[in-house]
Amino acid sequence: MMLKIAFRNIFRQKRRTILTALAMIVGFTLSSIVIGLSDGAYSNVIEMFTGNRIGHIQVHRAGYHDKPSIYKTISNYESIGKMIQNEDGVEAWTPRIYTGGLGSVDERSTAVRIIGIDVARENIATNFNKKVIEGNTLSETALHEVVIGEKLAKTLAATLGSKIVLFSQAADGSIANDEYTIVGIADSGDDITNRVACYLHIDDVQELFVLEGRVHEIVVIVSNINKVERISNAITERLHDTSLEVLPWYQVVKSFYDAMQKDKQGDAVARFIIVFIVAIGVLNTVLMSVMERTREYGVLKAVGTKPIQVFWLVIYEVVIITMGSIVIGAMLGVFFNYLLSVYGVSYAEGFTLAGVEFGKMYAEVNVACLLVPATTVFVSAVVVSLFPAIKAARIMPARAMRIH
Amino acid sequence: MNQTEKIDVITAEGVTKVYDADGIPVNALNGVDLTIQAGEFTAIVGPSGSGKTTFLNIISGLDAPTEGKVSLAGKVISEMSGNELSDYRRDNIGFIFQAYNLIPVLTVEENVEYIMLLAGVPKAERHKRVIDILKVVGLEGVEDRLPTQLSGGQQQRVAIARAMVSEPTIILADEPTANLDSKTGADLLEMMRKLNTETGMTYLFSTHDPLVMERAKRLITLRDGLVESDEARE
Ligand SMILES: Nc1ncnc2c1ncn2[C@@H]1O[C@H](COP(=O)(O)OP(=O)(O)O)[C@@H](O)[C@H]1O
Ligand SMILES: [Mg+2]
Repeated sequence: MMLKIAFRNIFRQKRRTILTALAMIVGFTLSSIVIGLSDGAYSNVIEMFTGNRIGHIQVHRAGYHDKPSIYKTISNYESIGKMIQNEDGVEAWTPRIYTGGLGSVDERSTAVRIIGIDVARENIATNFNKKVIEGNTLSETALHEVVIGEKLAKTLAATLGSKIVLFSQAADGSIANDEYTIVGIADSGDDITNRVACYLHIDDVQELFVLEGRVHEIVVIVSNINKVERISNAITERLHDTSLEVLPWYQVVKSFYDAMQKDKQGDAVARFIIVFIVAIGVLNTVLMSVMERTREYGVLKAVGTKPIQVFWLVIYEVVIITMGSIVIGAMLGVFFNYLLSVYGVSYAEGFTLAGVEFGKMYAEVNVACLLVPATTVFVSAVVVSLFPAIKAARIMPARAMRIH
Repeated sequence: MNQTEKIDVITAEGVTKVYDADGIPVNALNGVDLTIQAGEFTAIVGPSGSGKTTFLNIISGLDAPTEGKVSLAGKVISEMSGNELSDYRRDNIGFIFQAYNLIPVLTVEENVEYIMLLAGVPKAERHKRVIDILKVVGLEGVEDRLPTQLSGGQQQRVAIARAMVSEPTIILADEPTANLDSKTGADLLEMMRKLNTETGMTYLFSTHDPLVMERAKRLITLRDGLVESDEARE
């Protein structure tokens, strides 16, 4: 019954309804965009950091992550890879070998990091071929080719076609020493890697270091990064091997992850401020619309409406307008966040984080960008209307109707 | 109804009201004793500011007295809860205000049926009673209009229909003719007088309109918050 009157009020007082709804819709949409953008920025950072480099999950011989060593290897990596591939949500996997050594081109020498990769798998998993900015990527069969980092090429004054001699100690203690042809120069997206990386075909590295059939790392790419924890646990369970460690990305780059969490706390403050502003805006409009109708509530009470009914009338009206506003705001929020996720907005100035460069910010359409504004608008509207609703319910009709 | 029954509808004993006007106390009523009996057609008269509106508000529980006791059909208002009072007003009192005070977002029919909605009267009966009462007040065919689309006289007729539709024990009308031209005012008064005679419904007006005074069966004069005179007419 009061619901019916509430609907009538809403539809027959269009100006007031539109004004109130507008405040809510604008607040909703704005906070939705802010959340979408900031979440998008974080996801972007994470994706840049993980997807093309460290992967989402890494599998090693237990203890390798804390203290890497050429001897901590995984031997049956093909079968492990197959088991991982069978896990729900896993998109790709790729094996890697890491060793160090000395690289020389003609007279120049420097310390290098030798990375053995399965070219075909690495292309699928981390887009390795796209990192090659000059020359060609490695062949899928082992041909004594090498792709070196951009800055390493400068240090060694190496050009495409130069020969690089790699010198190190093999796993069996013998001297590892061989010559490779530089076929490509890569920009891996991070500074340190660019200074030291020598990418070789995995078979070449296994041969050079006497590590036949063994790798140091299996990188796993999942289709949804938010499910990393679950998938990582599932892999641990499936492998059922305590001599292996399965690490989600946030354990692999713990310091980066911790720094990001800190930054997120700062962001939470910014969010709170926005939420607060939206709440104030809603408070203002709701309060105004109730206050300007004091007389009407006085009449309702004078003709016999119970206080509680007047209370509900105020609440119903606010709730109905709020619901409508949330629906419209949600559509607008999704629409704008979608646009921003496709086209992005440029940062005032680009920045580099952990060696990764960022120039544009892309939004993300997620649950938070709808749920947070919806909760904000709803809770603030209802909380805010409680006070005027109680006031309207307790109004002395004589006072409310008095004409001056 | 038999007028010799002399049922007390309203009893006011020693009612005072002191308003606080920005810190300055205003004595609106200074001890009013009055009894209104069933079937009366009574006018409270007095100059502006003599306390007429205040008295009507207090006897209907729209405002609380500073001192004194008001009983509605034997029940003391100050002892009723907010809900009891609401129900009591809904079932026993019909209001007609000087400023009409219709609900602006509701149509004529919705305004008139509002109290019956509160009382839970079924839809079909509500509609029938609305149509009947609109005929009585001479407002056929405007059921679906909004108050803003009506003249002052028409709005006051709607207000009268709203006050009478639930057949209350008493109708309280605060200067009902003040905003109307004298012809319209006279018509409405004739109509109410007729209803009073035919149905025995009790009417209590506040007014300084001679039109109302002429037709009242009892005239109570207020001055400075006190009953100055109280005379039966005819
Ligand atoms: N809410 C109020 N606050 C302060 N003074 C009031 C209030 N209502 C009425 N008054 C004062 O009380 C006196 C009686 O007013 P009222 O009952 O409206 O008289 P009437 O209806 O006879 O014109 C007047 O002096 C008026 O100014
Ligand atoms: Mg008055």
